[in-house]
Amino acid sequence: MKVAFPYMGTVVVYKKLLELLGHEVVVPPRPSQKTIDLGVKYSPEFACFPFKVIIGSYIEACEMGVDTIVTSGGHGPCRAGFYGEIHKRILHKMGYDVDVIIFDAINRDKDRFIENVKKVKGKNSWLKLAKAIRFTYDLLKQIDVFDKEIHRIKPYEEVPGSAYRAWQEIQKEFDSAYDKKQLKKAVDRSKEIINSIRLKKVDEREKIRIGIVGEIYVVMEPSINMEIEKVLGELGCEVERSQYLSEWVDFNLMPSFLKKTHEEEVLKKGEKYIEIIIGGHAKQTVGFIVDFKDRGFDGVIHLMPFACLPELVSQSIIPKISKEHDIPVLTLSIDEQTGKANNLTRIEAFIDLIRNKKLGKFVV
Amino acid sequence: MKIGIPKALLYYYYGPFWKTFFEELEMEVVVSEDTNKKLINEGIKASVPEICVPIKIFIGHCIDLIKKDVDYIFVPRMISIYKGEVFCPKFMGLPDMLIHGVEGMEDKVLTCHIESKSDDISDYRNYIDIAEKLALPHDKLKKACRVASEKWYRFREYNKKGYHVLEAIDMVNNSVKIESTKRSDSDVKLGILGYVYNMYDSFVNMNVIDKLKSLNVDFITFDMIDESELRKYIDDMDKALFWTFSNKLLGAGYKFFRENEVDGIIHITAFGCGPDSFLGKLFEIESDDTKLPFMTIRVDEHTGENHLQTRIEAFVDMIRRKKAKVMQWGDKIEGSISLYGDSSCL
Repeated sequence: MKVAFPYMGTVVVYKKLLELLGHEVVVPPRPSQKTIDLGVKYSPEFACFPFKVIIGSYIEACEMGVDTIVTSGGHGPCRAGFYGEIHKRILHKMGYDVDVIIFDAINRDKDRFIENVKKVKGKNSWLKLAKAIRFTYDLLKQIDVFDKEIHRIKPYEEVPGSAYRAWQEIQKEFDSAYDKKQLKKAVDRSKEIINSIRLKKVDEREKIRIGIVGEIYVVMEPSINMEIEKVLGELGCEVERSQYLSEWVDFNLMPSFLKKTHEEEVLKKGEKYIEIIIGGHAKQTVGFIVDFKDRGFDGVIHLMPFACLPELVSQSIIPKISKEHDIPVLTLSIDEQTGKANNLTRIEAFIDLIRNKKLGKFVV
Repeated sequence: MKIGIPKALLYYYYGPFWKTFFEELEMEVVVSEDTNKKLINEGIKASVPEICVPIKIFIGHCIDLIKKDVDYIFVPRMISIYKGEVFCPKFMGLPDMLIHGVEGMEDKVLTCHIESKSDDISDYRNYIDIAEKLALPHDKLKKACRVASEKWYRFREYNKKGYHVLEAIDMVNNSVKIESTKRSDSDVKLGILGYVYNMYDSFVNMNVIDKLKSLNVDFITFDMIDESELRKYIDDMDKALFWTFSNKLLGAGYKFFRENEVDGIIHITAFGCGPDSFLGKLFEIESDDTKLPFMTIRVDEHTGENHLQTRIEAFVDMIRRKKAKVMQWGDKIEGSISLYGDSSCL
């Protein structure tokens, strides 16, 4: 089996799991203008942006000869849960002979879930599968810690760009780990790498912390969100996202009796504004805005794909939350029209406003 | 007490139920005006720019009701009316959007969770939140649900006999008695696929129904077909859509495409409608496979009807020519005529 998967965030992780099961893995190229162009060409016009990017990278993967795509499903009400079905039809219509394995929640169709697991498991024993999953999970947990740390210290680096070079090295370290011992070594090495970054001393009062909330794909995939974390880092802001892959796994795939995740708390904080889960990450979005405020952040940037169903509901409510909790929020809607300059200007102005507010210098 | 019901979204499906329900509870029911330019503009001003036009219209209707000095506006939280399926996120977050997003609505929104196993939403438990808020006894609530339910079933009965929603609402309000199915002498029959609030709000769709009538075209919509019939066509899908009304349209669409009972299909959709972006793709694939003419009409808050007139006329003309040719040469011409200008049809 020559396998590919959707490109989102730290792809090392999916690659690792499939590799451990002995598959030949093709990592689709990092989404580029070409990916977006392909995606736009073969998608329905009003499909959401992540849908278009993902089909674009599937097409690129198919061109590289994959015969299987592994992805996750869902049960709505957000469109993302149906991506796989439409992607499959589009790829077949284009003439690619490719099997799309879609993992839905286990209780939707148990038999199919097991069948899918068996397909991915191949000839490996169940024990090996369990071990592979366990290892990947540990790796994911560890790598996310560094992902967070990098974006915390990035604004204070003495040598511009050193934090990002460190992040590339760290990903490589993790990429070469295939067992527990190697993972531990990768973690130790990564700590060393982080510690070797020289940092400027900045007064606590001058630090600016920005939270990023919104739809998971545009929040997590830097290649399509103008590398917003990097941009903010360069503007001197610490950044934390509402979404990290390990947290998604904890919240969505862990059995509920083990579930004491931060996300549960966050959902409670959002309850006042959006009463029930309405799909996607709308409720998390509003909850995280409150949460970021409670944790002393100075501002929030809300990212959503153009015309995203659930995020439009949160966007409608955000002005009120922002007012009630006294935290500035900037909504950016992202699509294939990559007019970066416009968004960058808005981000810069937003950060200026926050900085002035913080230093008590109000510009009238 | 004065209750406002917005004449938007599912009013065109559950209106007869809700109106009767509140009347039975001895309230004065105020239905908002027909959608008009002024009302739509109010809605646009109060909503985020990217949201779909049916929601903007709904918000406009709520603002209209506030001006009519109602005590409450009824905004149900539609969650599910079919097992394993839900409504579009915007329906599920509609009360939140109004309460926290539109000024002056905070104390005006009267809401309840609607969850049911079928189209029938008359279970009184759906409305308990309302009873609590207005301090109504449960037996009164139960009775109101029962009476409203009867009326709603009658409305659906007319609807399924081939009378479209507006006709059926009219008939049920005036207690018209009918026995047989609606008859028509038209030579062209189209399948029209669209949500009730796009199909039957004559402002947003610029009177599509009248245009079809003036062209002497007969049409059939999903609401005229029985639920079990609609489901038949999507039961064998690995995974149907998540949204109940989208699935109804999908079932109706597949029926139209596969049963050969219509001459062409028009899909009416709102700009930026998420579920329809996928639904439309499934129809396109189906049209490719069955060669049945298919056209999408996308509506939004802009009003310029001439293009619509032209497109519908051209579509119907093409179908009439195709039929004439088929009749002339018998089996010689098979399949459809390309919508993109196949010269053989001219």
